[in-house]
Amino acid sequence: MAADSDPETEVFEITDFTTASEWERFVSRVEEVLNDWKLIGSSAGRASPEKGEYTSGTWEEKSQEINFADFKFSITHHYLKQESDKSDLKEELEEDAFPLAMQDLLCMNNDFPPRAHCLVRWYGMREFLVISPGANCEAITSESKCNLLLSSVSISLANSGCQVPMFVQIQQKWRRLYAGECQGPGVRTDFEMVHLRKVPSQYNHLSGLLDIFKAKIGCSLTPLPPVTIAIRFTYVLQDWQQYSWPQQPPDFDALLGGEVGGVEFGKLPFGACEDPISELHLATTWPHLTEGIVVDNDVYSDLDPLQAPHWSVRVRKAENPQCLLGDFLNEFFKLCCRKESTEEILGRGLTEEEGKENTDLSAALSKLTEPAAAPMSKLSVSSMVHSARKHIRRHRRVDESPLSNDVLNSILLYLFPDAAVERSSTGTSDASDGRPAPPPSTGGRSEPDKDSDYNLFNQLKSAPSDSLTYRLALCVCLVNFYHGGVRALAHLWQEFVLEMRFRWENNHLVYGLASGAPDLRCCLLHQKLQMLNCCIERKRARDESRKASDGGKERERQLPGGGENGRRSRRASPGKSWDSWSDSEDEFFECLSDQEEAAAAKEGEAEKGGAGRAKPPDGRLHPHGTMTLLNPSTEPLYIPVTQEPAPMTEDLLEEHSEVLAKLGTTAEGAHLRARMQSACLLSDMESFKAANPGCSLEDFVRWYSPRDYVEEEVVDEAGAPVLRGELSARMKIPGNMWAEAWDTARSVPARRQKRLFDDTKEAEKVLHYLSVQKPADLTRHLLPCILHAAVLKLKEEESLEDIPSVKKAVQQATSHASKQLRHPNPDHKKLEEVISQLVAVETVIARARSLKAKFGVGKAEAGEDSEDLEKFVSSLLEEPEVAVLGAGRGPAGSIIHKLFVSSQRAALLAPMDDDLVRPGGGADDRKPMGGGLNVPDFPPPAGREILLRTCVPRPAPYSKALPQRLFCVLLREDFRLAGALSSDTSFF
Amino acid sequence: MEEGILTTLKILIIGESGVGKSSLLLRFTDDTFDPDQTATIGVDFKVKTISVEGNKAKLAIWDTAGQERFRTLTPSYYRGAQGVILVYDVTQRDTFTKLDNWLNELETYCTRNDLVKMLVGNKIDKENHELDRNEGLKFARKHSMLFIEASAKTRDGVQCAFEELVEKIIQSPGLWQSEGHGRVHLTDEDAGGGSCGGYCSLV
Repeated sequence: MAADSDPETEVFEITDFTTASEWERFVSRVEEVLNDWKLIGSSAGRASPEKGEYTSGTWEEKSQEINFADFKFSITHHYLKQESDKSDLKEELEEDAFPLAMQDLLCMNNDFPPRAHCLVRWYGMREFLVISPGANCEAITSESKCNLLLSSVSISLANSGCQVPMFVQIQQKWRRLYAGECQGPGVRTDFEMVHLRKVPSQYNHLSGLLDIFKAKIGCSLTPLPPVTIAIRFTYVLQDWQQYSWPQQPPDFDALLGGEVGGVEFGKLPFGACEDPISELHLATTWPHLTEGIVVDNDVYSDLDPLQAPHWSVRVRKAENPQCLLGDFLNEFFKLCCRKESTEEILGRGLTEEEGKENTDLSAALSKLTEPAAAPMSKLSVSSMVHSARKHIRRHRRVDESPLSNDVLNSILLYLFPDAAVERSSTGTSDASDGRPAPPPSTGGRSEPDKDSDYNLFNQLKSAPSDSLTYRLALCVCLVNFYHGGVRALAHLWQEFVLEMRFRWENNHLVYGLASGAPDLRCCLLHQKLQMLNCCIERKRARDESRKASDGGKERERQLPGGGENGRRSRRASPGKSWDSWSDSEDEFFECLSDQEEAAAAKEGEAEKGGAGRAKPPDGRLHPHGTMTLLNPSTEPLYIPVTQEPAPMTEDLLEEHSEVLAKLGTTAEGAHLRARMQSACLLSDMESFKAANPGCSLEDFVRWYSPRDYVEEEVVDEAGAPVLRGELSARMKIPGNMWAEAWDTARSVPARRQKRLFDDTKEAEKVLHYLSVQKPADLTRHLLPCILHAAVLKLKEEESLEDIPSVKKAVQQATSHASKQLRHPNPDHKKLEEVISQLVAVETVIARARSLKAKFGVGKAEAGEDSEDLEKFVSSLLEEPEVAVLGAGRGPAGSIIHKLFVSSQRAALLAPMDDDLVRPGGGADDRKPMGGGLNVPDFPPPAGREILLRTCVPRPAPYSKALPQRLFCVLLREDFRLAGALSSDTSFF
Repeated sequence: MEEGILTTLKILIIGESGVGKSSLLLRFTDDTFDPDQTATIGVDFKVKTISVEGNKAKLAIWDTAGQERFRTLTPSYYRGAQGVILVYDVTQRDTFTKLDNWLNELETYCTRNDLVKMLVGNKIDKENHELDRNEGLKFARKHSMLFIEASAKTRDGVQCAFEELVEKIIQSPGLWQSEGHGRVHLTDEDAGGGSCGGYCSLV
């Protein structure tokens, strides 16, 4: 063979590779790969693997494509990653030590690894190479092709001196049929395999298999060294009987029957609808038997699973069990893609009727707002609304509305519990509120406990878990799932928007929202609702003080600038008519009569003149420390009542900053920008002038921008130090905007100024925005809240089970969600990922529950046993296979035994009373194979694995004694013998 | 002009009134100093494109008024900022002591938690320093900020401050972050598709 000759020694001989065949090229490619991967040379010298190392260690693999002519193969190197190669051990000196793989054939530390490549299971090796046909290539089915490949393997191993066993995958992939070879100095192991559909009857037991093993070895020595045997029988339990899945899907129809009614709307369902644990596999192992100790032939067997010294269990999990929370999330998420508007979904008829409802509601409204009517505090608002609603429902045929009245009413009650509160005390000043004290924690930042959970809304940009928005999200989700899908959702939304309008028109704050400006950390819908509340609050304050002034105008006249009154009239002022607040854009806090205005203007002029009689001060909040005005009057300097700046939602803010940014960066732009924003400054200046008659810009600056009033200590004529102050340089620039504004500011208290915030307009904008949201928009708005709720639910459920991996997974899902939801336009795909992450967590928790129920964890009285059992169950979840302490005699073992017994009875006998089920235990002497009158405790094993090993000389009695191994797998419809037969090649 | 721009960054300048926020900005954008700079009303806005390490970035810089009263208004504009410059006046101790308030404000109103913060001690050209460099350094370290002393008047440190901030923002992962650092797999069965999983003996 051309490739064999060494060109360096044979200097004068021309080596010709030009005619190398495809086969030769293939062999040299394989050698190249072995070289690249540094698999050349002795592999011996490493210690034998630790017990269980094949499971605990990490397996790695490396692949490369390799061609035989144009046929693609891939060659893969599988190996156990070992911490430190202890190559400097004693065996290093032994030059002709067996290759590692041959030593591993006999090693008993890693029989039946729970999770490993099948070749590892069959041959016990920690390192090997596989050549298999490429992804889209046909299988190697012909014998000659197979032999060709095997001889290539043989040649390349011999050429390179590689001691790692190399396999070729033959036949169809699913058959997992491999043939291979391992070479060492003077020794060789052949790996051969038999694979049949049916178990031949003569090999259906240990004695038959021993016969075939001995026949294969073909050793003529007598007596033959003993064969060591390891056996594992696997039993499958599918029928859990009374230990069946404990969870029933919740009964949602009963939900509305009880008194609690809508309270249930606040909860997300949880758990699997089917058993997330489908099978239990019990493996009973006899790890170390010697030939002759046990009998197992076609008529009798010693192999009683109960007597097996070692039991281990694995569970098979249902692939994608239907889980309630997951279903909820997915159904809800699907809505995001709907296109229809509310009208399209509900149909025109219904919306028209909604229109009618509107007028009915406004009838209720006018009844409420009629000044002559009984004081508002005596009327229950809720009863008013509800009667109006009842009235409508008489007109509407019940079957037309997608959401039944009962359901709708309980939802509304849940969303607006304030409507149900019958106020007993009518005397308190804020009884007309129509709202009980807001939930304690709505304020947010003040609560230190459960901080991280509470602040989840900030992370997810949702809304606090006690807010209306959050509750709405839960309702929408539930309605979508159980009460009529998207139509019902549209119906609910319409009712919700109506309620919002009702509250605006009747000055009732929307319940369950933190007060103050919209919280930009929350979702936009939440901000919009908060904005509506801001509008209602301002309108109400205005109306209230108007009402107050109707009675108290005289008194106010008598006590100008009364200190206590200051606070109450802070943002509002009396008005003359109930209607004055509506509709006009150029509205003033109070409409001044022409006369008054003229007077005010005159006063302002007089003041500008510097002299003249001072106008009586108005709109004082409180004195500014001990400061006094700079003019000689020594009047204290008062901080005026001011107008609050306009609250803004994030979309408004966006618009606003865009407008400001569009003005550009030129000087004119900057000037214009300042002017646009000076309304607030001007308003404050006017309020200041009104509160401090005779004041100057210096006074104003001392309050507003103290650093712009520079004070200096100087020594006066008498030698005493005095403070002298003046405006800063930048304030003294002629024509600067501050001075300019100061000059134009008149002396007008805040309540008489033009409103900086037009609550009427803003409220209408919000209500319009709400009403045009399609169901899909609504879902997108509420998605953060639903994800928030799901995370909380998972955390709550996890805390009951305490599964560490779940804790971590929840955290990861949360931060993943956080990243997506803070983005202005979250990616649909990525959100889907988040949801499936959450569903996966739910499934894991459901599995834990199922297992705990099956093994009675938590039911049994506390003790060592129950603790062990708990540990056992939790490791079943996390580990592929778990050893049963005490095998069939331990606490877990006896439970497993019972499970099998009852399942056997159910399968083979008529149903019988539970108390006839005998408790399993060590004293149980029935044989599973025994048949007879009794039903065997265990079903026939689903799988039997028998591992035979010995070390005998081969092929001749005077050869070296070498490791021989046969692994037999007997399944119902699968029979496999995997043999590794070593022989001494020295003289053959 | 627009081409080749990697990203637009929103940057805030905050701090007590009169510490020189607008002057710093003017020095940076127009390289001028106006002793007659008036007190800002509300917020002001400037744009500048700079290139850092070959990447062009467009900066939208929002300059804010420092007066207490404006603080009900200006924080609304903090939203979405990627970087912030906190300014104090090295000749006025109280502008330094109030920095804590400003940090709280940021904490409350900023929507991003990966915001890059820079502390700038301004007006180092002046004689009567009330704060030395070390105090600024200490504060910056405590709150994990960048720190530099500068003078808008003499242009010391101004360019550098902005460039450093932008560089830091571009480097910080939040901006470019993609998914995928070590995730826990709950479903680890049959992880290796090619090799057979745990059930190899029993189909």
